[in-house]
Amino acid sequence: MRFALAVGTFLILVIHGVILYNQFSHKWEAHQIAYFNQAKAMAKGEAERASLEARGPRIEQTVVADFGETRVDRCITCHIASDDPRFSTYQQPLKTHPYSLAMGDVQKNGRWERRHKFSEFGCTVCHDGQGRGLSPKDAHGEDEYWPDPILGAAVQENWRKEFVPMLRGKEYLEANCAQCHTGAHFTGTPTVRKGMDLFYASNCYGCHRIEGLSDGTIGPDLTEVGRKFKIDYLYTRIKDPKSVLATSIMPKFNMLSDQDIKALVIFLKSRKGKNFSETEMDRYRLRATGGAELVQAHIKPVQINPAQMAKQGEQLVLDRACTACHKLGAKDGAIAPDLSFEGLVKDPAWLDSHFRNPRITMPDSIMPAFRFTDDEFKAMTSYLSGLKAVPAMPTPEATYKALCLRCHGEKGDGRGLIAEHLDPSPRDFTKAAFMNSKPMGRLVASISKGVDGTSMPAWGKLVDEKQATALLGYIQTAFVKEPRQEPKARNLPAANPVASSPESIARGEATFVNRCAGCHGRKGDGKGPNSLDILPKPRNLRNGLFMASVNDTRLFDSILYGVQGTAMPSWIDYGMSNNDVGDLVNFLRNLNPKPKGGQNAGTI
Amino acid sequence: MAVSRRRMLAWITGTGLVGSGVLSAVSNFVFIKPRATYGQPQRFSIGKPDDFPAGTRIALEARRICVVREGNKLAALSTTCTHLGCIVGLADTGFACPCHGSRFDSDGTVTGGPAPRALPWYKITLAPNGEIEVDKDTEITPGSYLTL
Repeated sequence: MRFALAVGTFLILVIHGVILYNQFSHKWEAHQIAYFNQAKAMAKGEAERASLEARGPRIEQTVVADFGETRVDRCITCHIASDDPRFSTYQQPLKTHPYSLAMGDVQKNGRWERRHKFSEFGCTVCHDGQGRGLSPKDAHGEDEYWPDPILGAAVQENWRKEFVPMLRGKEYLEANCAQCHTGAHFTGTPTVRKGMDLFYASNCYGCHRIEGLSDGTIGPDLTEVGRKFKIDYLYTRIKDPKSVLATSIMPKFNMLSDQDIKALVIFLKSRKGKNFSETEMDRYRLRATGGAELVQAHIKPVQINPAQMAKQGEQLVLDRACTACHKLGAKDGAIAPDLSFEGLVKDPAWLDSHFRNPRITMPDSIMPAFRFTDDEFKAMTSYLSGLKAVPAMPTPEATYKALCLRCHGEKGDGRGLIAEHLDPSPRDFTKAAFMNSKPMGRLVASISKGVDGTSMPAWGKLVDEKQATALLGYIQTAFVKEPRQEPKARNLPAANPVASSPESIARGEATFVNRCAGCHGRKGDGKGPNSLDILPKPRNLRNGLFMASVNDTRLFDSILYGVQGTAMPSWIDYGMSNNDVGDLVNFLRNLNPKPKGGQNAGTI
Repeated sequence: MAVSRRRMLAWITGTGLVGSGVLSAVSNFVFIKPRATYGQPQRFSIGKPDDFPAGTRIALEARRICVVREGNKLAALSTTCTHLGCIVGLADTGFACPCHGSRFDSDGTVTGGPAPRALPWYKITLAPNGEIEVDKDTEITPGSYLTL
């Protein structure tokens, strides 16, 4: 007992002593003492020596108030000689911060004068890092969760090893220069400029919003991306989006070189929400225009020569990263449909309006509306509508592989390469109940005329009726795996027996809210509360193009007899009469004003 | 002389307790004052001497000092009134407090009003990079200038 007490109290004394000792032996104190001693030896006069004599080690700090949030920089505590030109040949941390013309420093009477004074700018405004930290690891931002490790010549410990050769810090400093020097022709930030040009040239602006620069809505807002993410994260995210986030739909931009990605990262790193040089008035103006003018200003329009339209269109399609999503020949972005025989599938008018606003021709498309000029759209349309090479399809299987596989999948289950990006999803052929409940004529028509308002194109110019029937035969044996039975004729009205009237629409709405809204949603957009658990997803009944392409008889069929192989039940079983359905159809027709032009509205 | 085990243990325990007590007391004195303060640092540089030509008398509002240069002599006076801490303004006769009417001559000596003490003069030095450094932590005798 006495022994334990003795050991215990002695241990407490030791721990106490160690803690106290640690508080008196900071590294920064040693650095400062070394500096004072050196400076004293160099001192010219007695007064200077005396003033150094009076200075003891202490935490030095600068409060920087003019750059975003007020920051406290204690870097000078260790780097105490950074503004003392006599220490230019010393080792860090007692080394003078270099002077350079590139940073705006000037030489006057043989002495350098700084453009960016430490008392005004501090250190972290340019170099990042944790200004308050007093140990090298803290101060340099090398702790795992600090988003902005110090930028300089050093390679950061916590940066991914495979990226270390590309992440030499000095070039990344430009990102911070660009927070004030936003001018397009500022010579100090060529990499930021290159990154910004790539942001437009690679069409990043179509998906991402950056306040004042672009207004895409598909991807995350990048206005403050530089503040939120580390350099190596951004790098990996651009290089291979899916490696960081498996559900990412961001395409892999194969045409970007490592240097390009680096420039993009540096550009993104400069996006920290606010540019210090912007005034409130500038911000107001940017908000008012939404950045539209800026996009126009950044994308240099290509002069289109009418004689070479198609040729230039090809160049544009290649330059503007269309293949980052679409397939075209050997290039495949694995996100959007194949353009290799676009000229046979779509007519020029459709292409042109799809370019201008994809959602007019495909209501649930994720394709952004890019801001190109009219002439450029015309050139691209002219190129794409010239793509009329029919692939070799000797057997129905080959036809399936060439035309259907990309969406409907290898197993015919509607889970093709790009299926997850299509809304509505491609049809699942393994659902025998659906396939065998539709008459052959309708299936053939879906192939040759396409399905309006969906990504199913009209294949009529690539496969004739005979081939389509053969293709369906192949689908039946390979995927449906049940012998084909023609469905029995159903008892359906030839036209809606209820005339459309405000009363009928009101009754239809009441029925819709009671019976249909659970899956199709209160708005009829297919996003009801039950829709999350249902595959295929409930039909978007506000898809005007689709709704216009189906006649009343087909709506009656789907409602009264249900859609086999999906969650849509047969409402006859729940006592719905022809009149109830008539009201419903009137309500649905009233939801969708006349569409402007569908896939089948043109020449096909 | 052999020391008994019991006595030895008593010594160790005693040393531990008393030592810890002493260290605690020392720690209290050492750590009672924070090593770093928030807010603007009290020693800062205000620019090159060339920025202040001869005859300058300029009040730096944010730093709460007045820089005076006469010929090649430089000085920095506080512009915080010694009465209630208002910022005194430059006046023809020296300094004047706009709130409570204290008046100081150009050397900071009280000439009127409620101010109890003269305006302090701060130590200034020429830093190695050629800039003037003002140390508001160190007051000096009024009338002592830095000769350039």
